[in-house]
Amino acid sequence: MALPRAARHDGAVSFYKIAVIVIIVGSYLAWIRPDGLQGRFRAGRWGLLLPLVALAYASVSTAHHWLVIAEVLAGCLLMLLAPRASAKTVPFALLGLAFVGLVLARKYTDGHNESTLYGLVLAGSYSGRTALVLPEAVLFLAAGLWLLLRLNAPGSGLVRQTATRLWQSRSSGILPWQGFLVLLPVALILRMLDMHTSSGAAIDVAVIAVAVVLALRARLWAATLAAAASLVLGTYGILLAMYGHPTSGHYYGILAWESNRGIFIGSGIQGTLLLALGVWGTPRVLGQHLGLREKALAAKAELLTERVETLTQTRTDAVDTAAAELRRIERDLHDGAQARLVALGMSLRAAEKLFKTSPDAALALVSEAKETSSRALTDLRDLVRGIYPPVLADRGLADAVRALALDTPLHTVVDVDLPGEIDLPVGSAVYFAVAEILTNAAKHSGARTVRIHLSYAVGTLRVQVTDDGAGGADPAAGTGLTGVERRLATFDGILAVNSPPGGPTIVVIEVPCALSSPKTSSC
Amino acid sequence: MRVVIAEDLFLLREGLVRLLQAHDFEIVAAVGTAPELLAALLDTSPDVGIVDVRLPPTNTDDGLRAALAARKQVPGLPVLVLSQYVEQLYARELLADQQGGVGYLLKDRVFNDEAFAGAIRTVAAGGTVLDPEVVQKLLLKHTSTNPVTRLTPRELQVLALMAEGRSNAAIGQRLHITEKAVSKHAAGIFAKLGLAVSDDDNRRVLAVLAYLES
Repeated sequence: MALPRAARHDGAVSFYKIAVIVIIVGSYLAWIRPDGLQGRFRAGRWGLLLPLVALAYASVSTAHHWLVIAEVLAGCLLMLLAPRASAKTVPFALLGLAFVGLVLARKYTDGHNESTLYGLVLAGSYSGRTALVLPEAVLFLAAGLWLLLRLNAPGSGLVRQTATRLWQSRSSGILPWQGFLVLLPVALILRMLDMHTSSGAAIDVAVIAVAVVLALRARLWAATLAAAASLVLGTYGILLAMYGHPTSGHYYGILAWESNRGIFIGSGIQGTLLLALGVWGTPRVLGQHLGLREKALAAKAELLTERVETLTQTRTDAVDTAAAELRRIERDLHDGAQARLVALGMSLRAAEKLFKTSPDAALALVSEAKETSSRALTDLRDLVRGIYPPVLADRGLADAVRALALDTPLHTVVDVDLPGEIDLPVGSAVYFAVAEILTNAAKHSGARTVRIHLSYAVGTLRVQVTDDGAGGADPAAGTGLTGVERRLATFDGILAVNSPPGGPTIVVIEVPCALSSPKTSSC
Repeated sequence: MRVVIAEDLFLLREGLVRLLQAHDFEIVAAVGTAPELLAALLDTSPDVGIVDVRLPPTNTDDGLRAALAARKQVPGLPVLVLSQYVEQLYARELLADQQGGVGYLLKDRVFNDEAFAGAIRTVAAGGTVLDPEVVQKLLLKHTSTNPVTRLTPRELQVLALMAEGRSNAAIGQRLHITEKAVSKHAAGIFAKLGLAVSDDDNRRVLAVLAYLES
């Protein structure tokens, strides 16, 4: 077991070595007690790592020996006394160690050259092993994260959530880790630029942060960037290996590019690997780009086709409905008001003839004519009501529905929550829909009370009619509701009936529409 | 009796004027728009205003609104509203202030000029006249929570005729009972609806209102 540099050159080195070894071995022996081995093993086996991690911490710092001993002792005591807590401490200790390693690696890159024992690597003094600090730090990071999740330590939920979100493949077809490949060329470029200043470190952090955000938010573009950069950098690495001249202080990849054949070979190998990565990734991202565009176009085309189909259908229905309405109006006028006016004219003509010869008969005819004109008016009134309800024309939908409610024989509660006026075409369709629903409720449901609620939210008018009747209504059974549905469909509106046996029956109408400002009084 | 007439169609307006003059009404103003009507009702203080629901400027229910506005300023100002159609909603709005002096009739009722003149006089005297069509619709409504449901069929008949603005004598004639019997039924109605003893006209208005609320 290696110890800090300061310790090795100290005369009393053997004492500290022995002290540390005694503490660690002693505490492990104390841990393995015959009575509680199994239970303790289950409870906190990962806590066993704590003395070793404490030792690693102690050896990184060049602190006083007593401090080294104290740190190791603290780790051992925690392991023995609180196995569970110590187990949960280990992942955080490992993450911290990883952070220390990252800082250390950066320090060596910037020319720091004292030898330090980092984990298993004795770095510094131009040792070739210095380059292993970074990989070891990454290893610690990975181990720390893995343990964090494994032990459900505090904070693991957050990490898991984030990881799940990152790892869930969405529509882009590029896996999340493929997006994170962008970090590789970005780190490489930063290292080649090799900014030693403190602002350079800030730039490094900023660039890495941007790359991470890109990988998270725009995975496909991150992967695209990774592929392109890998192609360029890989080619550059191979060219370097073939034709480059060694210059001190330049780097390629994780190795410094110096007068060292091995590092030439290193840049060749790294370049080849990068190029391979680029070649592997390029067709994938290109395919995704093209595929996505095609998919988007196809989806759009499908939507449009669907819309056209719907519009064709609803337009046909609207035209049919309008034609049927006109036919009905024509027939009503023909058989009703028109016929009565003819009769009226005939009565008056007959009365005119009888006026002088038999005034009594003439008077009777005039009376009859008056009666007929009254009936003609009633006919016209009913017809107008069916075409365009007067209250709807006068007051808009809310009062028209209130008027409807008053006219049904059922007890009704009308609750209106509309911030403005509904346009008349939509209002008319909804009015007749409510009229039909109320008629059905009065005829079939056996309800006593009907509640009508009008509301408007996010561009949609919603009308809910609830009755306390027997339920079991079948919307497909009658032609009335089908006609209403068709009329609503012209405005992309829908009608839904929920009527379980035993009631209540709830009918909901939803129509997307605009609201105009509330009507102002004209007086 | 001084009358204000508001009707936007010239032919109908002139017809009304002629008809009312023939029945010895004095026409103090005959106007064609809602603002003119409001001004006429407030300025000439007529005995009764005869108002078409639909008037310019918006050609919706401007006439009704003007009449309601005038009654807000002059409580109980008698108005008889005429319309091509009758709506319970509008009847309620007219009756809501419980002041009486309100009529609401289909335009067709003008054909029977004597009954029409009678209705005008009833309204001018503070009575309530509702079109039989409104009353008819009310009869179809059956709810459980209203005191009106405690009335006997005979009392309901009397109340319906009361709502049409008929006097006890006229109701008696219609139902082939004595005027005294009608008064008895009326007293029963007032008692069941919880209307305290006060002047008979006001109680009739309130009874009709209770009827409408049912």
